[in-house]
Amino acid sequence: MRINPGKCIGCGQCRVFCTMGCIAFVRKEKGGQVQCRVDEDECVDCEVCLRAKACPTDALEQPPAVWPRSVRGTFSNPLVTHKETKVPGRGTEEIKTNDVTNRYKHGYVGISAELGRPVLGARLRDAERVFMALAPLAVEFEKQNPLTSLLADPATGKLKEDVLDEKVLSCIVETVAPIERAAEILDALDKVAGEIESVFSVDIISRVADDLSVPALEMLKRGKRPYAPNGKINIGLGRLFIKGAGC
Amino acid sequence: MSHTLHRQGTADNLSGDYVLLAMSAKGVNAVNSSYALKDFFSIINKHDWANMGEVKVGGAYIASFQDIVGGVRDTSVAHAVFRDKDEFARVIAQVKKADLGLSVTISGLLGNLNETLEANGIKPHTVEVSLGIKGKTERLPHGDLLQITTMCGHGMVSQALVRKTLVDIKRGRVSLEKAANLLATPCACGIFNPRRAQLILEELMDTWCTDEP
Ligand code: SF4
Ligand code: SF4
Repeated sequence: MRINPGKCIGCGQCRVFCTMGCIAFVRKEKGGQVQCRVDEDECVDCEVCLRAKACPTDALEQPPAVWPRSVRGTFSNPLVTHKETKVPGRGTEEIKTNDVTNRYKHGYVGISAELGRPVLGARLRDAERVFMALAPLAVEFEKQNPLTSLLADPATGKLKEDVLDEKVLSCIVETVAPIERAAEILDALDKVAGEIESVFSVDIISRVADDLSVPALEMLKRGKRPYAPNGKINIGLGRLFIKGAGC
Repeated sequence: MSHTLHRQGTADNLSGDYVLLAMSAKGVNAVNSSYALKDFFSIINKHDWANMGEVKVGGAYIASFQDIVGGVRDTSVAHAVFRDKDEFARVIAQVKKADLGLSVTISGLLGNLNETLEANGIKPHTVEVSLGIKGKTERLPHGDLLQITTMCGHGMVSQALVRKTLVDIKRGRVSLEKAANLLATPCACGIFNPRRAQLILEELMDTWCTDEP
Protein backbone atom coordinates (compact mmCIF):
# COMPACT_ATOMS: atom_id res chain seq x y z
CA MET A 1 0.00 0.00 0.00
CA ARG A 2 1.13 3.53 -0.72
CA ILE A 3 -0.11 6.98 0.13
CA ASN A 4 -0.06 9.43 -2.73
CA PRO A 5 1.78 12.50 -1.36
CA GLY A 6 0.05 14.63 -3.95
CA LYS A 7 -3.31 13.82 -2.36
CA CYS A 8 -2.69 13.19 1.37
CA ILE A 9 -3.83 16.00 3.69
CA GLY A 10 -2.43 14.33 6.80
CA CYS A 11 -5.77 13.85 8.56
CA GLY A 12 -4.68 10.47 9.97
CA GLN A 13 -8.08 8.82 9.46
CA CYS A 14 -6.47 5.79 7.85
CA ARG A 15 -4.03 5.05 10.68
CA VAL A 16 -6.32 3.28 13.15
CA PHE A 17 -7.41 0.75 10.57
CA CYS A 18 -3.87 -0.39 9.79
CA THR A 19 -3.43 -3.99 10.94
CA MET A 20 0.34 -3.64 11.14
CA GLY A 21 0.49 -0.16 12.65
CA CYS A 22 2.73 0.90 9.80
CA ILE A 23 1.14 4.22 8.78
CA ALA A 24 3.01 7.13 10.37
CA PHE A 25 2.77 10.91 10.33
CA VAL A 26 5.72 12.57 8.57
CA ARG A 27 6.73 16.00 7.33
CA LYS A 28 9.64 17.21 5.27
CA GLU A 29 10.65 20.14 7.48
CA LYS A 30 9.60 21.85 10.70
CA GLY A 31 6.42 23.79 10.10
CA GLY A 32 5.79 21.93 6.83
CA GLN A 33 2.66 20.02 5.83
CA VAL A 34 2.08 16.90 7.92
CA GLN A 35 1.19 13.86 5.86
CA CYS A 36 0.96 10.12 6.39
CA ARG A 37 3.30 7.54 4.92
CA VAL A 38 3.17 3.73 4.81
CA ASP A 39 6.27 1.84 5.86
CA GLU A 40 6.08 -0.46 2.85
CA ASP A 41 8.50 -2.99 4.29
CA GLU A 42 6.18 -3.55 7.28
CA CYS A 43 2.96 -3.31 5.23
CA VAL A 44 1.44 -6.69 4.34
CA ASP A 45 -0.88 -5.43 1.56
CA CYS A 46 -3.99 -6.57 3.44
CA GLU A 47 -5.88 -3.52 2.04
CA VAL A 48 -7.87 -3.08 5.25
CA CYS A 49 -7.04 0.65 5.21
CA LEU A 50 -8.34 0.93 1.65
CA ARG A 51 -11.55 -1.02 2.31
CA ALA A 52 -12.27 1.11 5.39
CA LYS A 53 -12.98 4.00 2.96
CA ALA A 54 -11.67 6.33 5.67
CA CYS A 55 -9.53 8.48 3.40
CA PRO A 56 -11.34 11.68 2.36
CA THR A 57 -9.02 12.31 -0.60
CA ASP A 58 -8.57 8.78 -2.03
CA ALA A 59 -4.86 9.04 -1.31
CA LEU A 60 -4.39 5.35 -0.51
CA GLU A 61 -3.25 3.40 -3.56
CA GLN A 62 -2.37 -0.27 -3.97
CA PRO A 63 0.39 -0.52 -6.59
CA PRO A 64 0.35 -3.61 -8.83
CA ALA A 65 2.28 -6.26 -6.93
CA VAL A 66 5.08 -8.06 -8.72
CA TRP A 67 6.86 -11.18 -7.52
CA PRO A 68 7.91 -11.67 -4.74
CA ARG A 69 5.95 -8.78 -3.21
CA SER A 70 2.79 -10.36 -4.65
CA VAL A 71 2.79 -13.07 -1.97
CA ARG A 72 1.93 -10.45 0.66
CA GLY A 73 -1.54 -9.81 -0.68
CA THR A 74 -2.15 -13.49 -1.42
CA PHE A 75 -1.73 -14.40 2.24
CA SER A 76 -2.91 -11.20 3.91
CA ASN A 77 -5.96 -10.13 1.95
CA PRO A 78 -8.83 -12.64 2.32
CA LEU A 79 -10.47 -11.18 -0.76
CA VAL A 80 -7.67 -12.48 -2.93
CA THR A 81 -8.44 -15.98 -4.15
CA HIS A 82 -5.34 -18.09 -4.48
CA LYS A 83 -4.88 -19.33 -8.04
CA GLU A 84 -4.22 -22.99 -7.17
CA THR A 85 -6.62 -23.60 -4.25
CA LYS A 86 -9.55 -21.43 -5.48
CA VAL A 87 -9.90 -20.67 -1.76
CA PRO A 88 -9.75 -17.03 -0.69
CA GLY A 89 -6.86 -16.33 1.67
CA ARG A 90 -4.08 -18.28 3.23
CA GLY A 91 -5.31 -21.81 3.91
CA THR A 92 -7.38 -24.72 2.70
CA GLU A 93 -10.89 -25.96 3.35
CA GLU A 94 -9.36 -28.16 6.10
CA ILE A 95 -12.03 -29.33 8.61
CA LYS A 96 -14.78 -27.30 6.98
CA THR A 97 -15.57 -29.83 4.26
CA ASN A 98 -14.06 -32.91 5.89
CA ASP A 99 -17.44 -34.64 5.95
CA VAL A 100 -17.27 -34.67 2.14
CA THR A 101 -13.53 -34.74 1.37
CA ASN A 102 -12.34 -37.02 4.21
CA ARG A 103 -9.09 -35.02 4.18
CA TYR A 104 -8.56 -36.04 7.83
CA LYS A 105 -9.23 -39.76 8.18
CA HIS A 106 -9.73 -41.88 11.28
CA GLY A 107 -6.34 -42.52 12.85
CA TYR A 108 -4.87 -39.25 11.51
CA VAL A 109 -4.58 -35.72 12.83
CA GLY A 110 -4.10 -32.38 11.15
CA ILE A 111 -1.72 -30.06 12.95
CA SER A 112 -1.24 -26.49 11.81
CA ALA A 113 0.95 -23.61 12.87
CA GLU A 114 -0.36 -20.27 11.73
CA LEU A 115 2.51 -17.81 11.61
CA GLY A 116 1.86 -14.19 12.50
CA ARG A 117 -1.49 -14.89 14.11
CA PRO A 118 -2.61 -13.06 16.17
CA VAL A 119 -1.88 -9.40 15.45
CA LEU A 120 1.84 -9.38 14.65
CA GLY A 121 2.18 -10.71 11.11
CA ALA A 122 5.30 -12.65 10.19
CA ARG A 123 8.15 -12.76 7.70
CA LEU A 124 8.14 -15.92 5.60
CA ARG A 125 11.57 -16.60 7.10
CA ASP A 126 9.67 -17.60 10.25
CA ALA A 127 7.51 -19.97 8.21
CA GLU A 128 10.67 -21.54 6.84
CA ARG A 129 11.95 -22.11 10.38
CA VAL A 130 8.76 -24.03 11.19
CA PHE A 131 8.91 -26.01 7.93
CA MET A 132 12.53 -26.91 8.63
CA ALA A 133 11.66 -28.03 12.16
CA LEU A 134 8.96 -30.38 10.83
CA ALA A 135 10.57 -31.63 7.60
CA PRO A 136 12.95 -34.08 9.36
CA LEU A 137 9.88 -35.78 10.85
CA ALA A 138 8.78 -36.65 7.29
CA VAL A 139 5.31 -35.21 7.87
CA GLU A 140 3.06 -34.56 4.92
CA PHE A 141 2.65 -30.84 4.17
CA GLU A 142 -0.82 -30.03 2.84
CA LYS A 143 -0.42 -29.74 -0.94
CA GLN A 144 -3.47 -27.49 -1.38
CA ASN A 145 -2.06 -24.88 0.99
CA PRO A 146 -0.61 -21.87 -0.87
CA LEU A 147 2.34 -21.72 1.54
CA THR A 148 3.37 -25.27 0.59
CA SER A 149 3.67 -24.11 -3.00
CA LEU A 150 6.47 -21.75 -1.89
CA LEU A 151 8.66 -24.64 -0.74
CA ALA A 152 11.89 -24.93 -2.72
CA ASP A 153 12.65 -28.30 -1.17
CA PRO A 154 9.92 -30.14 0.75
CA ALA A 155 12.51 -32.61 2.07
CA THR A 156 14.41 -29.91 3.98
CA GLY A 157 11.63 -27.37 4.43
CA LYS A 158 13.60 -24.66 2.62
CA LEU A 159 11.43 -21.96 1.06
CA LYS A 160 12.20 -20.14 -2.19
CA GLU A 161 14.99 -17.74 -1.32
CA ASP A 162 13.36 -14.65 -2.80
CA VAL A 163 10.24 -14.79 -0.58
CA LEU A 164 11.97 -15.08 2.79
CA ASP A 165 11.87 -11.38 3.67
CA GLU A 166 8.27 -10.93 2.58
CA LYS A 167 5.91 -10.14 5.42
CA VAL A 168 2.35 -11.47 5.62
CA LEU A 169 -0.51 -11.03 8.05
CA SER A 170 -0.54 -14.76 8.51
CA CYS A 171 0.28 -18.00 6.72
CA ILE A 172 -0.28 -21.59 7.73
CA VAL A 173 2.12 -24.53 7.87
CA GLU A 174 -0.42 -27.32 7.53
CA THR A 175 0.39 -30.99 8.14
CA VAL A 176 -1.40 -34.32 8.23
CA ALA A 177 0.08 -37.28 10.12
CA PRO A 178 -0.87 -40.52 11.87
CA ILE A 179 -2.02 -39.73 15.39
CA GLU A 180 0.96 -41.64 16.82
CA ARG A 181 3.19 -38.93 15.38
CA ALA A 182 1.25 -36.03 16.92
CA ALA A 183 3.31 -35.71 20.12
CA GLU A 184 6.63 -35.40 18.29
CA ILE A 185 5.18 -32.81 15.89
CA LEU A 186 3.89 -30.75 18.82
CA ASP A 187 7.25 -31.12 20.59
CA ALA A 188 9.02 -29.85 17.46
CA LEU A 189 6.67 -26.85 17.31
CA ASP A 190 7.35 -26.07 20.97
CA LYS A 191 11.07 -26.18 20.26
CA VAL A 192 11.04 -24.00 17.14
CA ALA A 193 8.84 -21.45 18.95
CA GLY A 194 11.99 -20.26 20.70
CA GLU A 195 13.68 -19.52 17.37
CA ILE A 196 11.12 -17.38 15.61
CA GLU A 197 10.72 -13.60 15.61
CA SER A 198 6.92 -13.50 15.59
CA VAL A 199 4.24 -15.79 17.02
CA PHE A 200 2.20 -18.69 15.71
CA SER A 201 -1.14 -20.18 16.73
CA VAL A 202 -1.32 -23.97 16.83
CA ASP A 203 -4.33 -26.18 16.24
CA ILE A 204 -5.09 -29.87 15.97
CA ILE A 205 -7.82 -31.61 13.98
CA SER A 206 -9.28 -35.06 14.56
CA ARG A 207 -12.17 -37.18 13.31
CA VAL A 208 -14.72 -38.03 15.98
CA ALA A 209 -14.79 -41.76 16.76
CA ASP A 210 -17.96 -43.87 16.57
CA ASP A 211 -18.28 -43.74 20.37
CA LEU A 212 -18.12 -39.90 20.10
CA SER A 213 -14.67 -39.73 21.70
CA VAL A 214 -12.13 -37.46 20.01
CA PRO A 215 -8.79 -39.28 19.78
CA ALA A 216 -6.70 -36.09 19.48
CA LEU A 217 -8.25 -34.63 22.61
CA GLU A 218 -7.62 -37.88 24.50
CA MET A 219 -4.00 -37.72 23.35
CA LEU A 220 -3.69 -34.11 24.53
CA LYS A 221 -5.14 -34.97 27.93
CA ARG A 222 -2.77 -37.92 28.33
CA GLY A 223 0.19 -35.68 27.42
CA LYS A 224 -1.06 -32.96 29.77
CA ARG A 225 -1.10 -30.49 26.88
CA PRO A 226 -3.60 -27.70 27.48
CA TYR A 227 -6.09 -26.75 24.79
CA ALA A 228 -8.72 -24.04 24.54
CA PRO A 229 -12.26 -24.77 25.80
CA ASN A 230 -13.69 -23.31 22.59
CA GLY A 231 -13.21 -25.02 19.26
CA LYS A 232 -14.72 -25.97 15.94
CA ILE A 233 -16.89 -28.90 14.94
CA ASN A 234 -17.80 -30.04 11.44
CA ILE A 235 -21.28 -31.40 12.13
CA GLY A 236 -21.41 -33.87 9.26
CA LEU A 237 -24.32 -32.49 7.23
CA GLY A 238 -22.37 -32.39 3.95
CA ARG A 239 -23.39 -34.66 1.10
CA LEU A 240 -22.10 -35.31 -2.41
CA PHE A 241 -25.34 -34.02 -3.89
CA ILE A 242 -26.34 -30.57 -2.74
CA LYS A 243 -29.97 -29.49 -2.71
CA GLY A 244 -30.82 -27.49 -5.82
CA ALA A 245 -27.54 -28.31 -7.51
CA GLY A 246 -29.41 -29.93 -10.39
CA CYS A 247 -31.11 -26.64 -11.25
CA MET B 1 -8.03 -21.22 7.10
CA SER B 2 -9.17 -21.76 10.69
CA HIS B 3 -10.52 -18.25 10.89
CA THR B 4 -13.25 -19.04 13.43
CA LEU B 5 -10.80 -20.81 15.76
CA HIS B 6 -8.36 -19.16 18.18
CA ARG B 7 -10.97 -16.73 19.57
CA GLN B 8 -9.75 -15.65 22.97
CA GLY B 9 -11.96 -14.88 25.93
CA THR B 10 -13.40 -15.91 29.25
CA ALA B 11 -15.81 -18.81 29.66
CA ASP B 12 -18.40 -16.17 30.47
CA ASN B 13 -18.10 -14.02 27.34
CA LEU B 14 -17.37 -16.99 25.05
CA SER B 15 -20.72 -18.45 26.12
CA GLY B 16 -22.31 -15.65 24.08
CA ASP B 17 -20.48 -16.46 20.87
CA TYR B 18 -21.56 -19.09 18.34
CA VAL B 19 -20.30 -19.11 14.75
CA LEU B 20 -21.83 -21.11 11.94
CA LEU B 21 -20.42 -21.52 8.46
CA ALA B 22 -21.59 -23.42 5.43
CA MET B 23 -19.83 -24.24 2.19
CA SER B 24 -19.47 -26.76 -0.58
CA ALA B 25 -16.21 -28.57 -1.37
CA LYS B 26 -14.31 -27.27 -4.38
CA GLY B 27 -14.00 -29.91 -7.07
CA VAL B 28 -16.43 -32.25 -5.27
CA ASN B 29 -19.92 -30.81 -4.90
CA ALA B 30 -19.49 -27.10 -5.58
CA VAL B 31 -21.23 -26.85 -8.96
CA ASN B 32 -24.55 -25.03 -8.51
CA SER B 33 -24.21 -25.07 -4.71
CA SER B 34 -25.01 -21.32 -4.64
CA TYR B 35 -28.74 -22.11 -4.44
CA ALA B 36 -28.28 -24.00 -1.20
CA LEU B 37 -25.94 -21.31 0.15
CA LYS B 38 -28.65 -18.71 -0.49
CA ASP B 39 -31.17 -20.95 1.30
CA PHE B 40 -28.73 -21.14 4.21
CA PHE B 41 -28.64 -17.33 4.45
CA SER B 42 -32.44 -17.20 4.31
CA ILE B 43 -32.61 -19.50 7.33
CA ILE B 44 -30.07 -17.34 9.18
CA ASN B 45 -32.01 -14.17 8.45
CA LYS B 46 -35.13 -15.56 10.10
CA HIS B 47 -33.26 -15.64 13.42
CA ASP B 48 -31.70 -13.13 15.80
CA TRP B 49 -28.18 -13.07 14.32
CA ALA B 50 -25.30 -10.95 15.61
CA ASN B 51 -23.50 -10.87 12.27
CA MET B 52 -23.39 -12.69 8.95
CA GLY B 53 -21.49 -12.33 5.72
CA GLU B 54 -19.58 -13.56 2.73
CA VAL B 55 -15.99 -12.48 2.26
CA LYS B 56 -16.28 -11.04 -1.25
CA VAL B 57 -19.22 -8.83 -0.27
CA GLY B 58 -18.55 -8.22 3.41
CA GLY B 59 -20.25 -8.61 6.77
CA ALA B 60 -23.67 -7.36 7.78
CA TYR B 61 -22.22 -4.13 9.22
CA ILE B 62 -21.08 -2.94 5.81
CA ALA B 63 -23.38 -4.79 3.41
CA SER B 64 -27.15 -5.37 3.24
CA PHE B 65 -28.70 -8.82 3.43
CA GLN B 66 -29.69 -8.49 -0.23
CA ASP B 67 -26.11 -7.66 -1.22
CA ILE B 68 -24.72 -10.57 0.78
CA VAL B 69 -27.15 -13.07 -0.75
CA GLY B 70 -26.74 -11.49 -4.18
CA GLY B 71 -22.98 -11.97 -3.94
CA VAL B 72 -23.18 -15.69 -3.20
CA ARG B 73 -21.31 -17.91 -5.67
CA ASP B 74 -20.71 -21.65 -5.76
CA THR B 75 -17.34 -21.03 -4.12
CA SER B 76 -18.70 -18.83 -1.30
CA VAL B 77 -18.36 -19.57 2.38
CA ALA B 78 -21.50 -18.44 4.21
CA HIS B 79 -20.96 -17.22 7.78
CA ALA B 80 -23.25 -16.27 10.64
CA VAL B 81 -22.80 -15.48 14.33
CA PHE B 82 -25.24 -15.81 17.20
CA ARG B 83 -24.99 -14.61 20.78
CA ASP B 84 -27.63 -16.78 22.35
CA LYS B 85 -27.25 -20.53 22.78
CA ASP B 86 -30.96 -21.30 22.49
CA GLU B 87 -31.33 -19.24 19.33
CA PHE B 88 -28.25 -20.94 17.93
CA ALA B 89 -29.81 -24.35 18.71
CA ARG B 90 -32.97 -23.31 16.83
CA VAL B 91 -30.86 -22.33 13.81
CA ILE B 92 -29.05 -25.66 13.86
CA ALA B 93 -32.42 -27.45 13.96
CA GLN B 94 -33.60 -25.48 10.92
CA VAL B 95 -30.38 -26.04 9.00
CA LYS B 96 -30.58 -29.78 9.66
CA LYS B 97 -34.25 -29.87 8.63
CA ALA B 98 -33.48 -28.00 5.38
CA ASP B 99 -31.12 -30.85 4.44
CA LEU B 100 -29.10 -28.61 2.12
CA GLY B 101 -26.19 -31.03 1.73
CA LEU B 102 -23.69 -28.25 2.47
CA SER B 103 -20.87 -28.88 4.92
CA VAL B 104 -21.61 -27.00 8.13
CA THR B 105 -19.05 -26.14 10.78
CA ILE B 106 -19.82 -24.53 14.13
CA SER B 107 -17.55 -22.79 16.63
CA GLY B 108 -17.93 -21.98 20.31
CA LEU B 109 -17.38 -23.53 23.72
CA LEU B 110 -17.11 -27.23 22.93
CA GLY B 111 -19.35 -28.29 25.82
CA ASN B 112 -22.13 -25.99 24.60
CA LEU B 113 -21.70 -27.06 20.98
CA ASN B 114 -21.93 -30.73 21.90
CA GLU B 115 -25.07 -30.12 23.97
CA THR B 116 -26.65 -28.36 20.98
CA LEU B 117 -25.74 -31.21 18.63
CA GLU B 118 -27.01 -33.87 21.01
CA ALA B 119 -30.31 -32.03 21.45
CA ASN B 120 -30.67 -32.01 17.67
CA GLY B 121 -29.64 -35.63 17.16
CA ILE B 122 -26.52 -34.68 15.23
CA LYS B 123 -23.29 -36.64 15.51
CA PRO B 124 -20.16 -34.48 15.27
CA HIS B 125 -17.87 -35.43 12.40
CA THR B 126 -14.52 -33.68 12.93
CA VAL B 127 -13.20 -31.51 15.75
CA GLU B 128 -10.52 -28.81 15.79
CA VAL B 129 -9.09 -27.14 18.89
CA SER B 130 -6.55 -24.42 19.55
CA LEU B 131 -3.37 -25.23 21.44
CA GLY B 132 -2.60 -21.56 21.98
CA ILE B 133 0.01 -19.08 20.87
CA LYS B 134 3.73 -19.89 20.71
CA GLY B 135 6.81 -17.78 20.01
CA LYS B 136 7.45 -14.19 21.00
CA THR B 137 4.21 -13.78 22.93
CA GLU B 138 5.75 -10.87 24.84
CA ARG B 139 5.33 -8.83 21.64
CA LEU B 140 1.54 -9.27 21.75
CA PRO B 141 -0.79 -6.55 23.00
CA HIS B 142 -2.77 -6.90 26.22
CA GLY B 143 -5.04 -9.95 26.40
CA ASP B 144 -8.13 -7.73 26.76
CA LEU B 145 -7.47 -6.36 23.28
CA LEU B 146 -6.93 -9.85 21.89
CA GLN B 147 -10.38 -10.92 23.09
CA ILE B 148 -11.75 -8.41 20.60
CA THR B 149 -9.26 -8.57 17.73
CA THR B 150 -9.27 -12.40 17.54
CA MET B 151 -12.96 -12.38 16.62
CA CYS B 152 -11.78 -11.59 13.10
CA GLY B 153 -9.73 -14.66 12.31
CA HIS B 154 -8.11 -12.96 9.32
CA GLY B 155 -6.70 -10.30 11.66
CA MET B 156 -8.52 -7.44 9.92
CA VAL B 157 -9.51 -5.68 13.17
CA SER B 158 -6.46 -3.70 14.25
CA GLN B 159 -5.47 -3.20 17.85
CA ALA B 160 -5.26 0.54 17.12
CA LEU B 161 -8.95 0.58 16.20
CA VAL B 162 -9.86 -1.13 19.47
CA ARG B 163 -7.71 1.33 21.45
CA LYS B 164 -9.27 4.32 19.68
CA THR B 165 -12.73 2.90 20.29
CA LEU B 166 -12.05 2.57 24.00
CA VAL B 167 -10.85 6.17 24.22
CA ASP B 168 -13.86 7.41 22.25
CA ILE B 169 -16.28 5.58 24.52
CA LYS B 170 -14.53 6.88 27.64
CA ARG B 171 -14.76 10.43 26.32
CA GLY B 172 -18.45 10.01 25.53
CA ARG B 173 -17.93 10.44 21.78
CA VAL B 174 -19.58 7.16 20.83
CA SER B 175 -21.97 4.67 22.43
CA LEU B 176 -20.90 1.14 23.31
CA GLU B 177 -23.21 -0.26 20.66
CA LYS B 178 -21.96 2.00 17.87
CA ALA B 179 -18.35 1.38 18.86
CA ALA B 180 -18.87 -2.40 18.76
CA ASN B 181 -20.57 -2.13 15.37
CA LEU B 182 -17.66 -0.08 14.00
CA LEU B 183 -15.24 -2.78 15.16
CA ALA B 184 -17.21 -5.33 13.12
CA THR B 185 -16.72 -3.43 9.84
CA PRO B 186 -13.19 -4.56 8.84
CA CYS B 187 -14.14 -8.25 9.25
CA ALA B 188 -14.99 -9.16 5.66
CA CYS B 189 -16.42 -12.61 6.45
CA GLY B 190 -18.93 -11.34 9.01
CA ILE B 191 -17.70 -13.60 11.83
CA PHE B 192 -16.86 -10.75 14.23
CA ASN B 193 -19.44 -10.75 17.01
CA PRO B 194 -20.21 -7.11 17.84
CA ARG B 195 -22.62 -8.01 20.63
CA ARG B 196 -19.87 -9.93 22.43
CA ALA B 197 -17.46 -7.07 21.69
CA GLN B 198 -19.96 -4.71 23.30
CA LEU B 199 -19.96 -6.78 26.50
CA ILE B 200 -16.15 -6.80 26.56
CA LEU B 201 -15.94 -3.04 25.91
CA GLU B 202 -18.46 -2.42 28.68
CA GLU B 203 -16.34 -4.43 31.09
CA LEU B 204 -13.18 -2.63 29.96
CA MET B 205 -14.72 0.78 30.58
CA ASP B 206 -14.18 0.21 34.29
CA THR B 207 -10.75 -1.38 34.13
CA TRP B 208 -8.97 -0.07 31.05
CA CYS B 209 -6.55 2.86 31.07
CA THR B 210 -5.05 4.15 27.85
CA ASP B 211 -1.46 3.18 28.63
CA GLU B 212 -1.80 -0.63 28.59
CA PRO B 213 0.69 -2.33 26.26
S1 SF4 C 1 -2.44 -2.57 3.41
FE1 SF4 C 1 -2.71 -3.36 5.52
S2 SF4 C 1 -0.68 -3.29 6.45
FE2 SF4 C 1 -0.60 -2.02 4.58
S3 SF4 C 1 -1.00 0.07 5.27
FE3 SF4 C 1 -3.01 -0.81 4.69
S4 SF4 C 1 -3.85 -1.73 6.58
FE4 SF4 C 1 -1.65 -1.31 6.93
S1 SF4 D 1 -6.81 9.20 5.46
FE1 SF4 D 1 -5.97 9.79 3.44
S2 SF4 D 1 -5.58 12.01 3.61
FE2 SF4 D 1 -5.86 11.23 5.71
S3 SF4 D 1 -3.76 10.74 6.40
FE3 SF4 D 1 -4.59 8.83 5.54
S4 SF4 D 1 -3.93 8.85 3.38
FE4 SF4 D 1 -3.66 10.95 4.14
